[in-house]
Amino acid sequence: MSEFSLLDYAPIGVMFLVAIGFAASQILVTQLIGPRKRTATKLMPYESGKDPVGSARDRFSIKFYTVAVIFLLFDIEVLFMIPFAVAFKELLAQEKISTIAFGTIAFVEIMIFISTLVVGYIYVWRKGTFEWGLQARAEARAEAKEMVKEKNRRIRETQRVA
Amino acid sequence: MEPSLASYLALSGILFTIGAVGVIFKRNAIGMFMCIELMLNAVNLTFVAFSRYYADVTGQLFVFMVMSVAAAEAAVGLGIIISFFRNRVSVDVDDASILKN
Amino acid sequence: MNTILLQNLVNPNVNLPIVLPEMIVALTGVIVMLYDSFVPRQRSVTGAISLIGLAISAFFLVSMWNDAPQTGWNGMIASDGLRLSFTIVFLLVSAVTILISSVWADNEDVPIGEYHALLLFATFGMMFMASGNDLVIIFLGLETLSIATYVMAGLRRGDLKSNESAMKYFILGSFASAFLLYGMALIYGATGSTNITEIALKVANPNFPALLLVGGAMMIVGFGFKVATVPFHVWTPDVYEGAPTPVTAFMAVGSKSAAFASFLRVFVLGFPLIAGVQASEFLHESWVTALSVMAILTMTVGNIAAILQDNVKRMLAYSSIAHAGYAMVGFIGAGMAKNMQQRDAAIAAVAFYMLTYAVTNLGAFAIVTLLGQKNDRRTAFEDYNGIGFRAPALAFTLSLFMLSLLGLPLTAGFMGKVMVFRPALEANNLLLTVMVIAAAVNTAISAYYYLRLIVVMFFRERTTDWLAPRIPTALTAALLITVLGVLYFGIFSDGVIEKFSKSSVGTVFKAGTRP
Repeated sequence: MSEFSLLDYAPIGVMFLVAIGFAASQILVTQLIGPRKRTATKLMPYESGKDPVGSARDRFSIKFYTVAVIFLLFDIEVLFMIPFAVAFKELLAQEKISTIAFGTIAFVEIMIFISTLVVGYIYVWRKGTFEWGLQARAEARAEAKEMVKEKNRRIRETQRVA
Repeated sequence: MEPSLASYLALSGILFTIGAVGVIFKRNAIGMFMCIELMLNAVNLTFVAFSRYYADVTGQLFVFMVMSVAAAEAAVGLGIIISFFRNRVSVDVDDASILKN
Repeated sequence: MNTILLQNLVNPNVNLPIVLPEMIVALTGVIVMLYDSFVPRQRSVTGAISLIGLAISAFFLVSMWNDAPQTGWNGMIASDGLRLSFTIVFLLVSAVTILISSVWADNEDVPIGEYHALLLFATFGMMFMASGNDLVIIFLGLETLSIATYVMAGLRRGDLKSNESAMKYFILGSFASAFLLYGMALIYGATGSTNITEIALKVANPNFPALLLVGGAMMIVGFGFKVATVPFHVWTPDVYEGAPTPVTAFMAVGSKSAAFASFLRVFVLGFPLIAGVQASEFLHESWVTALSVMAILTMTVGNIAAILQDNVKRMLAYSSIAHAGYAMVGFIGAGMAKNMQQRDAAIAAVAFYMLTYAVTNLGAFAIVTLLGQKNDRRTAFEDYNGIGFRAPALAFTLSLFMLSLLGLPLTAGFMGKVMVFRPALEANNLLLTVMVIAAAVNTAISAYYYLRLIVVMFFRERTTDWLAPRIPTALTAALLITVLGVLYFGIFSDGVIEKFSKSSVGTVFKAGTRP
């Protein structure tokens, strides 16, 4: 094992410096040269276009939780794929010079692993985890229908007045 | 200079103890769960420290397994806590008191 | 980095057929899961698929029975007497649990397909706990089992008791897992390996003897929780009472015997006594003494607390704690064995004990499930008042199970107890003899609460009206299997014990007396 040296990690340090520098410079530059208009809307905290009203300790929809958990589980799979990806070329090279099919076996194994994940994916899909647009869509459709009706009524009214 | 094996073990021992004490004294289910995660991470640190000490990858491999198990445990555990919350509107473990003699 | 990789490349040509039974169970689980997601309205098809999968797995397991002890996957999987005998118990437990839970198919709204899939994954985890010869495999098996059972305990989503049971089990279970894992990490640190065969070679000369001891203590905490020994038993009654009864049956029997399988593998095969080597002797003496004290406490506390219960499920929970204590007598007998034959015989005795305990307890829980009605409302002792003459078949069957749990001759429970106490007596050790005497006294104490249920059933007047339950065919099958099992293992036990007595993979063993 080689001697531990902090210098080996210098590239990571440089990356951090660049990242921090980029973020800082962006903030500075926009502060310096950007036009400034202080309206009430602009001074509100930004919350993805919604009015930030009410307490943050509110109950959230369960859908956010399911998506977060599914993300967590599918995120962890990378843990097993990266070592495979790093070693795969080496294993293929090894397969050429030895009698054992290292590369092929590793490939088959990772495919089995991925197909297991696909099974999980099919399961969450069939169980309707991604269907949470359905209800919202139905509501939106009903609302749109109401709006069309309202519009037609108004047109008829204006025609009658005319 | 590289920190010695003992210092890694001491750190992981301290983290593990903090986690264990937290589980015992916290009354909030989520907080207890976070303390358990802290304990698992202390174990991971021990594994990595020994793995480096022996220049053997088994310990790191074990850490992979622990991490994926911790993720699965988090998914299931949060689900259980949420279903408890739905019926009880509380995540305080002192409210889990129907089953007592 | 690349050079290290090249040097350490191992031959990936592993012994694939060795894990065939496990793979079949896992594959069945996946099929059940997919079938359930595509045909959500089914109530019994997944159960049938699961039973078929378990049967195929058992077939392959039995076909491996006469092979010599072997290892595969670079020593990570061991196929020996310990693995084969425990795995057959797990498959039986899983199949009978599926039959018992058939009562849900008509009268309760639980996600039955998901339940079957979870049960199969739990079985898969248990099988790896018995066959794992490496701490990694044992840990993964344990977690697969635990995570599936956490969900199963909370299967009744709207039921507060079920929620509470799941939450307690989850928090305390993962707390115990963390301890177990820390123990594994320290043992890896002390020996430089996670393979149990290599650990057994290394205990004579560990790199860090102190860490070995601390690691062993941590693992006792972890495993002690899983098998529910005193003082790590406090979760058991609450969790068992709150969980749906078939799940309780599965936890009381399946999880417990799986934990015993790993416990045996790690301690008896991993920390053997190597005479004349101080480190090994000290470690061995420490764990044997600690476990002996725990065994005596477990029996006593379990039995005394069981007397005080008014709920049959809680009573059975405390009785399961007491039974863990009896099984530990055989376990310590295996630890104190003077040669490899004795050790393997003691391991077989523990496996046989778990088998007898499994058939008896599953039968008892099957009747509790049936009489509990929807949501397990009727599980108090009063609910059993006077059913003896209104439902004689059920009452007599339940009495048979109670007598077997008590350990009456001609029942399975008796043979199981005889088998586990024998190696402990043969060890000729004061501590072990005291332990066997404590176990005998405890058996006498336990008569009180087992007979109390029989008395309640036959000699109490019923004050509430009695609704005869409709017995589903599958539950009849489960009762038939368990009744026959109780009688067969009680009378013709020799054949089974002979089948179980196969040698184990651990070869590190030097006969010797302690100084």
